[in-house]
Amino acid sequence: MPFSSGEKWRPRAGFFKFSCCTGCGFELAYFQRSLEDTLKSFDFAFFRLASSSGDFDSLLDLALVEGTVTEPFQAVELKKIRKNSAVLYAVGSCAIAGGIPAIKAGGLELEIEKRAYQKKLYRLTSIRPSVLGDYVKVDGCVRGCPPGRHDLEEALVSVLLDRKPEFIEYSVCVECKMKGNICLLVDEGLPCMGPVTNAGCGALCPSCHRACYSCFGLMGQANIPALKDKFRQLGLSGEEIERRFTLFDGLKLKK
Amino acid sequence: MKIKIDYLGRVEGEAGVEFEIRGGKLRRLRINIWEPPRFFEGMLVGRSFDEVPDIVARICGICPVSHMVTSIRAIEKAIGFEPDENVLLARKIMSYSQIASSHLVHLVMLALPDYYGRSSFMELLPGEEALLKKFIRLKDVFNGITAAFGGGRALHPVSMVVGGFTALPDEGRIRGLRSGLPAAGEDMMDVFKTVSALELPDLKTDSELVALSEEGGYAVNKGRISSDMGLDGEEEDYERLFHEKEVPYSNAKKTAVRGRGALMVGALSRVSLHPDRLSESARKLALESGLAGKNKNPFYNIRAQAVEIVHFTEECRALLDKVQSGTALPKLRPKEGEGAALTEAPRGLLYHRYAVDRRGVVRKADIVTPTAHNYLGIEENLRRLIENNIDKPAERIRLLAEALIRAYDPCFSCSVH
Repeated sequence: MPFSSGEKWRPRAGFFKFSCCTGCGFELAYFQRSLEDTLKSFDFAFFRLASSSGDFDSLLDLALVEGTVTEPFQAVELKKIRKNSAVLYAVGSCAIAGGIPAIKAGGLELEIEKRAYQKKLYRLTSIRPSVLGDYVKVDGCVRGCPPGRHDLEEALVSVLLDRKPEFIEYSVCVECKMKGNICLLVDEGLPCMGPVTNAGCGALCPSCHRACYSCFGLMGQANIPALKDKFRQLGLSGEEIERRFTLFDGLKLKK
Repeated sequence: MKIKIDYLGRVEGEAGVEFEIRGGKLRRLRINIWEPPRFFEGMLVGRSFDEVPDIVARICGICPVSHMVTSIRAIEKAIGFEPDENVLLARKIMSYSQIASSHLVHLVMLALPDYYGRSSFMELLPGEEALLKKFIRLKDVFNGITAAFGGGRALHPVSMVVGGFTALPDEGRIRGLRSGLPAAGEDMMDVFKTVSALELPDLKTDSELVALSEEGGYAVNKGRISSDMGLDGEEEDYERLFHEKEVPYSNAKKTAVRGRGALMVGALSRVSLHPDRLSESARKLALESGLAGKNKNPFYNIRAQAVEIVHFTEECRALLDKVQSGTALPKLRPKEGEGAALTEAPRGLLYHRYAVDRRGVVRKADIVTPTAHNYLGIEENLRRLIENNIDKPAERIRLLAEALIRAYDPCFSCSVH
């Protein structure tokens, strides 16, 4: 029971990786500012990047899962993790939207695989990329590539306080306006994905004069056709528009 | 006796090791890199040249800057563009600060627990609380530099693009970054002492030390191929000098020097091939730590990393004095062409090559990463290490094996990609 024994309750957490760059793991373990507090507040029962011991089958208060599912064994593991965990958050664009590993889903997958392997091809077990939510119930999404600080801390704090998390669910435009940036899309005609992209990064790209490339993934109620129209008016070809919408969200738009 | 580690901890990405000792002989040793392939070379085809750096950054969560810089240089060569001097300075700052923070993570969080007989850094607390605080402070300084030049974040930076930077930090910010470096230098000397006090296992190997070489500097973002066995060539010669082979039991490929064999890339190769190109104090530390003169014991890689952090701290200081804040990003016109680039990532030699069509769409991509360069050598030298210690208890052999693999600072996500 939390706080009953006089000793501080440390929720048991696990961090799991599927197909991805491990950046979310690095963000959690090494990059974020509250590293020291995180290490001391949680009992990490499984976190391969940080510890060579650990129990994959441990019962957990919190499971954080990064990566896209691209192998059959990952789907089996994911279901196990779900069964063992009170709360499961998908972390990062790969786990939530498919991210970079899902670009492959937009083409002929065997052709794509052949460009990387010739001899070993018959031994590959790669399947069509899927997000975590295709296999299990996900309790929340810590968006971003890499995840933003607010949502990552919110994921941890909400478990410590045993309350519902409040993840950011509005567009990059909101953050951009709050920073007082001049709109790149309206004022300069740059093909900025800000209007349809989930916020959380702090409008990084527009703040350094670059069009948002949607690394946090599309937000829930994005008006995709409207932005595509706008891009067409700016003179972008159909192919160029498609590429912008499929860089991190190839799966969503296929459905 | 069978030893099997299914999922090696404290390394980037997913790999296992297995071997068998029977009748005092080692049998069937293999490192199985089961990290799933994401087929970057396949999925890059059809994407636009200016998307490539953002895509390849996601090969790796610890060295995204290296993949970005290497792809940017290869693509700029393909489309015939040459960036100005200030852009090159800013790219160096990005690379140097990233190498320093990547090394720090490896030294303190990944490698150190091996020498204390623990499974994670967390288990060294509260005894090593002071080291943890220094580590966090140092990480903040170096990540702060990468983030400031990278448009706000060190991991998957946003402002570094083909052609240059969409923005660079203003003068006040640059002065602020610079002012943090002297204190970082002092913290680093303490970390250096901790690392150099570690007793390293003995291991003689004959891997060829390979690193880039540049006149008048310590090569990172470009250079000629060089080795302790006389290898020499330009970036364009890469495929003539090296050979890549698929491995049936692993998703990573193995690279060898053509006609010779295993190579070793990374901090140890760089430091021991070119100690004379290090900053004065780093050079002194390298000599004192037994690194100069073609040291081929892979366990010394962690000392070489510590020396490099000292070197790059000083280099960053000098570059922050030189770099200008303003930037003008040229409008790039795609054209048909091919380009190859080699750089030194934190873990060693990194190769990217692209062919783009006249609209700037990628038609071919080839990437060979540091851990793919080291893979053959890691396996060979692991065999040697186990044979040297074959009479030791199984647990000791297992720990030594893990420590050797970790000493290379492998990145299995990169190696498969």
